[in-house]
Amino acid sequence: MYHSVAGNIQNYAEHRIETPSRDRSFVPPCQAACPLRMDIREYVDLVAQGRIMEALQVIRNGNPFPSICAYVCTHPCEEACRRGQVDKPVAIRALKRFALEFGGDRMVQVEARTEHPEKVAIVGSGPAGMACAYYLRSFGYPATIFEAHSEIGGMLRVGIPRYRLPREVLDVEIQRLTKMGVEIRTDTRVVSLDLLFDMGYKAVFVTIGAHQSLRIGIEGEDSPGVIDGATFLREVNLGLKPSVGDNVAVVGGGNVAIDAARTVLRLGARKVTILYRRSQAEMPADPVEVEQAVEEGVHIEFLVSPTRIRRQDGKLNTTCIRMELGEPDASGRRRPVPVEGSELNEEFDTLISAIGQAPQTPGDFRVHMGRGSTILVDPATLSTNRRGVFAGGDAVTGPATVTEALAAGRLAASRIDDYLQHRYPSPNKGGRETLAGDLLPKTVEMIQKIGRIEAPLLPAEARIKEFEPIELVYDWETAVNEARRCLRCGMGAEIVFQDKCATCLTCLRICPYHVPYLDAMGTIQIPADQCQACGVCVAECPAKAIVLRKPYDRRHVTEELDHVLKSARESKVGPLIIGFCCQYGLFGTGTLANLWKVAKAGIWIVPVLCIAKVEAEHLLRAFEMGAEGVFVAGCGEQCARENTAAWIHSRVQKARKVLSEIGLEPNRLQMYVPSATNGHPAEWLDTFVEQIGGLYLSSVIMQEVKVDSR
Amino acid sequence: MANSLFEEKLYSGEFVVTTEVGPPKGADVSEMVHHIDVLKDKVDAINVTDHQSSVMRFPSLGGCLIVKELGGEPILQMTCRDRNRLALQADLLLAYSRSIVNVLCLTGDSIDVGDHRDAKPVFDSDSVQLLKMIRTMESGKDIGGNDLKGIPKFCLGASVHPEADLIEPQLIKFEKKVAAGAQFFQTQGIFEVASLRRFMQYASQFDIKVLAGIIVLASARMAKYMNDNVPGIIVPQTTIDELASVEKGKGRQKGIDIAARLIRTIKEENLSHGIHIMAVGNESVVPDILEAAEVEVARY
Amino acid sequence: MIVAEQKPLPEIRRMISPYDRVLIVGCGTCMTVCDAGGEREVAFLHDALRMAQSKDGKETHHFLEATLKRQCEPEFLQMLVDKTSDVDVILSLGCGIGVQAIAERFPDTPVLPGVNTCFMGISREQGVWDERCAACGECRLEDTAGICPVTRCTKGILNGPCAGAKNGKCEANKDMDCAWILIYKRLERLGQLERMRRYYPMRNFRAVPRPRRLVKTPVAIGEDNG
Repeated sequence: MYHSVAGNIQNYAEHRIETPSRDRSFVPPCQAACPLRMDIREYVDLVAQGRIMEALQVIRNGNPFPSICAYVCTHPCEEACRRGQVDKPVAIRALKRFALEFGGDRMVQVEARTEHPEKVAIVGSGPAGMACAYYLRSFGYPATIFEAHSEIGGMLRVGIPRYRLPREVLDVEIQRLTKMGVEIRTDTRVVSLDLLFDMGYKAVFVTIGAHQSLRIGIEGEDSPGVIDGATFLREVNLGLKPSVGDNVAVVGGGNVAIDAARTVLRLGARKVTILYRRSQAEMPADPVEVEQAVEEGVHIEFLVSPTRIRRQDGKLNTTCIRMELGEPDASGRRRPVPVEGSELNEEFDTLISAIGQAPQTPGDFRVHMGRGSTILVDPATLSTNRRGVFAGGDAVTGPATVTEALAAGRLAASRIDDYLQHRYPSPNKGGRETLAGDLLPKTVEMIQKIGRIEAPLLPAEARIKEFEPIELVYDWETAVNEARRCLRCGMGAEIVFQDKCATCLTCLRICPYHVPYLDAMGTIQIPADQCQACGVCVAECPAKAIVLRKPYDRRHVTEELDHVLKSARESKVGPLIIGFCCQYGLFGTGTLANLWKVAKAGIWIVPVLCIAKVEAEHLLRAFEMGAEGVFVAGCGEQCARENTAAWIHSRVQKARKVLSEIGLEPNRLQMYVPSATNGHPAEWLDTFVEQIGGLYLSSVIMQEVKVDSR
Repeated sequence: MANSLFEEKLYSGEFVVTTEVGPPKGADVSEMVHHIDVLKDKVDAINVTDHQSSVMRFPSLGGCLIVKELGGEPILQMTCRDRNRLALQADLLLAYSRSIVNVLCLTGDSIDVGDHRDAKPVFDSDSVQLLKMIRTMESGKDIGGNDLKGIPKFCLGASVHPEADLIEPQLIKFEKKVAAGAQFFQTQGIFEVASLRRFMQYASQFDIKVLAGIIVLASARMAKYMNDNVPGIIVPQTTIDELASVEKGKGRQKGIDIAARLIRTIKEENLSHGIHIMAVGNESVVPDILEAAEVEVARY
Repeated sequence: MIVAEQKPLPEIRRMISPYDRVLIVGCGTCMTVCDAGGEREVAFLHDALRMAQSKDGKETHHFLEATLKRQCEPEFLQMLVDKTSDVDVILSLGCGIGVQAIAERFPDTPVLPGVNTCFMGISREQGVWDERCAACGECRLEDTAGICPVTRCTKGILNGPCAGAKNGKCEANKDMDCAWILIYKRLERLGQLERMRRYYPMRNFRAVPRPRRLVKTPVAIGEDNG
């Protein structure tokens, strides 16, 4: 049955747009890698369009404390980002930070009402606990966080140094919790869960983190001057300034070790050396952190491990032994093996051991434990062996990331809600498939290479003077330019109406990335993992059989146009000029940003996501609805994606032909693409406005003449 | 027994001279009559062109009748562009009945180069098929296979293009025309003697007569125009340059000189069995050319 | 594939002027492929006509749109029944076949041709089509190395070439190759020049006489067995 389109033309937009709001997109790799499954593709695209507040809304919808993540998330999304197959991944975390700083406190949801009587206790105020409290509160449950320390935040407060996560940021998020009505009791150590149930709590979420440092297990580890990393960082982060001397060693290769070493520099030590028993490739710390540490002056010695510490004349005489890499161990990394007879002695003022942490679960909790003193839970529900007791965060996984903890907190809140309402947890709604498959070389070849713009950092010497945040934030133009590098994975073109497809091969021939192909059956396939969602085939398909999997714009071009036209006609400023402007690049960054914020002398901008999507019928529509002049403005050679100028040019010609055939001057429709010879867009626009003004005046005069002569 | 004086002259071994007149666009034939009158005793036969360059004109058959009336020897140019096989056969019967038996069989220029560009191009046959058609009629039947009451006999010729830029396909066609019954060939315009020589080395293996076509130019502009617009004519750059080298007004004489020079060379070196002078609207210069080339024709 | 070109807008406007309710019907096969009358073109024409009429202010047509998979099959035409009861004229963007099919199926509604059907041809590249077949009914591509002298030679001769080719191009159109030179070169390449040396008699112009019909009769098998 062939779908035929007919009907009256009252609702132009309706009968032409087949399926306005369906989402058949794939989950992009960035979202799949994110523990919180954030709509990364969506907010990055909104930033690329300059719609920062909307990007912020998307961010806040998916993350209870995005500001924290903006500083310290380990960005698995960037590791998965397919832009990395072209040049470098999109700087997603920096973009998130930009959006948050731009929007500030706006879009923050603090309303919460109590709708249920059941109260929930959360043991531990780290990120998992904070997230759980946030979501429980928004579900309507009274929630109380019990924190053993005097300060709230768990590792966010006592673990991560201030230069990575400013304390003001953390405090703002915590304030939000209290504004929502979460009760937080500090200096309250929970020693027994039974007590909590006695107090009337109906469910408990145990999220005590992993703060207990592991011992290296060598002689002299308890000497004065030897301190474990977690304790060291906690002291510094709580405001104490331990004296560490001038020459400090840090044992370990994870983020705690790096944090400790960089903190030591900021305390004024002249030299800090990291002793790591494996090689650089095996270091678990974030490579960017390592790089920054080295920039700041941290020395790293690889394949070395301390074997004995002796305190002598106020210094720590440390015997180390060289290592070499042997067979892989349980973690898959090659086990370090001491090299016989390679001992060496070094002297330090302080030695910090940071080889790992484990949770310290009180036996009175009576929960079953797993490897490394972690709490055992059912991964789907986060429930422990005890009814009503849930656990999550580092206490369950061992030391992991902030974002994973937030995700655990969110999951726990849902499961606790299910539990309290006596519901079976609803199965994961399956939903969309994740996009798999790498970009083919022939696709990559056609993608314009634009280097990643890193967020600016303070210079190394300035950084170590104090604990101020080291990373600066993008400015608008940089953020927009960085965001438009995104490939929009998984939302590309799809031949939705297979029965309409006449296999005319137009899409195959015109795709700038050579994506559509003919399969063995002679059917056109548009592989979702290659399509760059430029929209050229959608606009050119003679059978209108192709649709973008996710019309991610809030409106289709026609709807956007109609929306603009409604306001434009009300304004009655003449002559009415409609401009279809690309939202990305030149226009999203604000070169013509003023134009779309304020209607200048009758100019109304219809933002489109790349002018490749503007069809000839849209151009005519603008005229039909009263525009005196129409222009299309694209990025030309600066177009990050495809050379759209040629396509738009032919459509402009087609529309102009109709204009002249019905008696309108074809020059009322023009195309602007910036080039070396073109001059500034604003100048061009002024000239165009003048031209249209002239035509408008003469047509008004003609009208009057006609009226007079009657 | 020759079918015509022209045929007789062809086989006489003497140098044959033919020329052509183009009929008028209209009913006023006075100028054509005048040219025929002037030329009829100076050449062995006069071709009357058939809507040359697809421009509608007074018909060649009508022109041949006038040549006959005036006492000249006509060659009927017959193209396949405008008439189907019924009309062609009918015209041939008429021609034969009026003793017009020399026929030059041509495919015909395409409609697109002429002045009736919306017309239907017929091309029911091509030149090879036309030759075959005529020989079939000579055997007593039309090409529908029906017996003819009164059987015609003709002297048949065709054209060939020794200066084509790709010669092999032309030679293949040439052989087909010979096999289909062509007795004589009038070539497209020759400008370089060497190409004629080469062609004749090949063509002399066949029992046919070749009359070298000589085109009379009057200016470089005319030459270029013909290059761009007239099918079958390729004027080489050297000739264009030679024409351009004289001052305005002297072009006509230059054209005559060039033509005469070619003819003299051809005659002296016995390069062909004769010549066919195409004056292209300039029929009055033909006697001057013959004089300059010192060619005289003794008409029987 | 059948290749056509949409008629100029002024001509279409003139054709529809006597009528009020106009149904624009597109075709989802050849007319889509050659981008003359598919769904996109139907929509665009509708917009243009509507704009033209509101600009002039004189006409008052009502337009409807429909696109069929093919206009030349009765089953597809059946799908128009509901819409045709309500219209004064059908403007078909199908090829000449489609227009006539609609006329036959809906004899009480006038049908207008919205495209000029041009030829059966091949796609060279996006947007460029060349004629290849004239449906002569006696295909001789065997002898011409797969190059048709009927469509590609402007005179359609069978014993080619004529003397008009210059630089391998046809005397009638300098953008087109001389078909016979192409045939010569290809036959030479295939070692089949003998075929060009043969005499080819005149075409049977009535191989399939007009008005043409083709009937496929089922083969009778084993009649005598019963």
